[in-house]
Amino acid sequence: MLLLAPTVLALAALTVYPGVWVLWLSLQHRIPIFEVSRFAGLDNYAFLAVDPRFLNAGRATAIFTVASVALEVVLGLTAALAIHAQRGGRRLALSFLLLAWAMPAVVTAKLFEWLYHPTAGLINVALGARSLNWLGDPGLALPAVVLADVWRTMPFVAVLCYARLLAIPAELYEAAQVDGAGRLATLTRITLPMLGRILLVAVLFRTLDALRAFDIMFVLTGGGPAGMTETLTVYAYRALFQTLQLGFGSALSVVVFLLVMAVAWAYLKFLRAGTTVAA
Amino acid sequence: MSASAGRVLRPLRSVLVVWLLALGGCAGGQPESEVVTLVFKYARILGRADPLPALLRSFEAAHPGIRVKGEALPWTSDDQHQFYVINLEGRSPGFDVMMLDCIWVPEFARAGWLTDLTTHLRPDELAPHFPSAVAAATYGGRVWALPWTMNVGLLYYRTDLLAKHGLRPPETYEELVDQVRRIRIAERDPALDGYLWQGKQYEGLVVNVLEALWANGARVLAEDGSVFPEPARAADALRFLRGLIETGVSPAWTTAADEELSRRAFGDGHAIFLRNWPYAMELFETADSAVRGKVAVVSLPGRARGERGVGSTGGAHLGVSRRSRHPELAVALARHLASEPAQRAIALGAALSPTRQALYHDPELVRAHPEMPRLHAFALAGRPRPVTPYYLLISSTVQPEFSAALVGVKPPERAIADARARLSYFLGAIR
Repeated sequence: MLLLAPTVLALAALTVYPGVWVLWLSLQHRIPIFEVSRFAGLDNYAFLAVDPRFLNAGRATAIFTVASVALEVVLGLTAALAIHAQRGGRRLALSFLLLAWAMPAVVTAKLFEWLYHPTAGLINVALGARSLNWLGDPGLALPAVVLADVWRTMPFVAVLCYARLLAIPAELYEAAQVDGAGRLATLTRITLPMLGRILLVAVLFRTLDALRAFDIMFVLTGGGPAGMTETLTVYAYRALFQTLQLGFGSALSVVVFLLVMAVAWAYLKFLRAGTTVAA
Repeated sequence: MSASAGRVLRPLRSVLVVWLLALGGCAGGQPESEVVTLVFKYARILGRADPLPALLRSFEAAHPGIRVKGEALPWTSDDQHQFYVINLEGRSPGFDVMMLDCIWVPEFARAGWLTDLTTHLRPDELAPHFPSAVAAATYGGRVWALPWTMNVGLLYYRTDLLAKHGLRPPETYEELVDQVRRIRIAERDPALDGYLWQGKQYEGLVVNVLEALWANGARVLAEDGSVFPEPARAADALRFLRGLIETGVSPAWTTAADEELSRRAFGDGHAIFLRNWPYAMELFETADSAVRGKVAVVSLPGRARGERGVGSTGGAHLGVSRRSRHPELAVALARHLASEPAQRAIALGAALSPTRQALYHDPELVRAHPEMPRLHAFALAGRPRPVTPYYLLISSTVQPEFSAALVGVKPPERAIADARARLSYFLGAIR
């Protein structure tokens, strides 16, 4: 019991205490620099429920998460299969892949800022006369941000899948060959089922990361245009750190926290269900 | 039980001892140094040569026994603001004099983070500065900062193109639109854009929209604290800006443009007009510039049958932290940095304009920057953004609304109405 005490204490000090404090803050009008501090009840939550900027941020977060995770899984899986099928140079290919993953998100964002540059950017120069207003068009800005994020985090999925691919026993493939299974059958009957668990783990990690994504859009677009790329975390940052509305910002953070928890819980339930079936 | 507790606590105790020893070591080092150190927080100044180290050394020379340390601030304005807020709210005495964006001064003064400079100053000491810069440093009838560098929105235009087509620089936006059409029809250059400005969703957008609002007789904040007191005129100004993009007078990417993006495009010779700050002038006149000798500035246009155009002012101020351990010395340092010789040195070494009006006719400066006397008139006519402690709250609230109107996802009236509704909730919580 006593040996558990440091863990419990650390958890209490680092997680429970701030968590409860944020919950308490969210029930107040609290802006310390203007000496505003009074109980607000559920005012902040009531405002959020009908706040178009909040709903818009929720929409941007959802689209960003679904699109980027889906693309990352498909492309990551493809990359892993391609490297696995390669005869030589696997290590080199893997290193190149990891390069993108190793870069800080802010650096990636700056890199893509130049790629998306309206007149001098590589992408628009390549498009020539059909050049696009990547970061200034309300319909294109979010896809542009998703693309940058996919480039950065696809390698994570690829490396996880590749590691699992290496662990699939060669006998399975030999047996399939003996049974006369074609390439497609081998892929859908052996490789993909064997990858199922690791893919779920990858999707869980990536989803939780994407739901909390901040730096890539903050640097690339600052949330614009028209708030189209403003995710919940960017909105919370603006409220908490830029305008110092601690009460309102805390209410926002509580909602983001609940959202992430709900998604994580759903995934874990799904994962556990998968485990019991497998067992 | 107690044995296991001891096992846990013993390493902790030794960590504590080491830590206390280390602390003692730090504290022990202090008395030996009788030298007083002042810390000045500032953003590194870009330009031919950073004039600040020399200015700090000259202060040290005049005040024996005092050392001044210049410490760099984070790069972006948002990060700088956050740095100050965290340290000042946390009562950190880590710095004495700080460079402030002028839009923060009322906020910091209201929060009680700045030393009231009113009693430290001679009655007429601020008279040589631009009145709008002094207004931005004043809150509640007291002075909280010293004006340091000046900024004002200007209209840059291509002298060669206007002269070729027999045109004079426009006084109204309607004239500007007409000139863009005429020049582009005659030039037949698809790569030539008309009017560049800053429409990305950030602080610069607020500045650009404010200038459009003012030209149309609208405001964001009235003296009585009400927001958008002229909503119809404000919506009309937004509609005009949207029209510039829709009709191609301004390129579609204006909605992603900040100062540098638009400055580079104009500097590459791809545009006729540009709204920007004075810093761009020097960059257009460098030896490798595509528009060298082909650029001039005028005051921002007004609207036909409307008000004369004025540029928004901006710039940096110097404040003294309320937590400074040496307030008298810190005020002296701020005064030294804002003095006429210091502002002259900064204007010579970097592309930053002084807040002292006499310097705009200073022979040495005019030789280096021939456009200075004209710049004086524009800066004098300039108008500050709303001087309020809640400026950042207002700005970050209206940014997405203005942007939504510019990219056409919201009718201008809706954008203004939504901005008003949000602001009344947030400001209502403060008042």
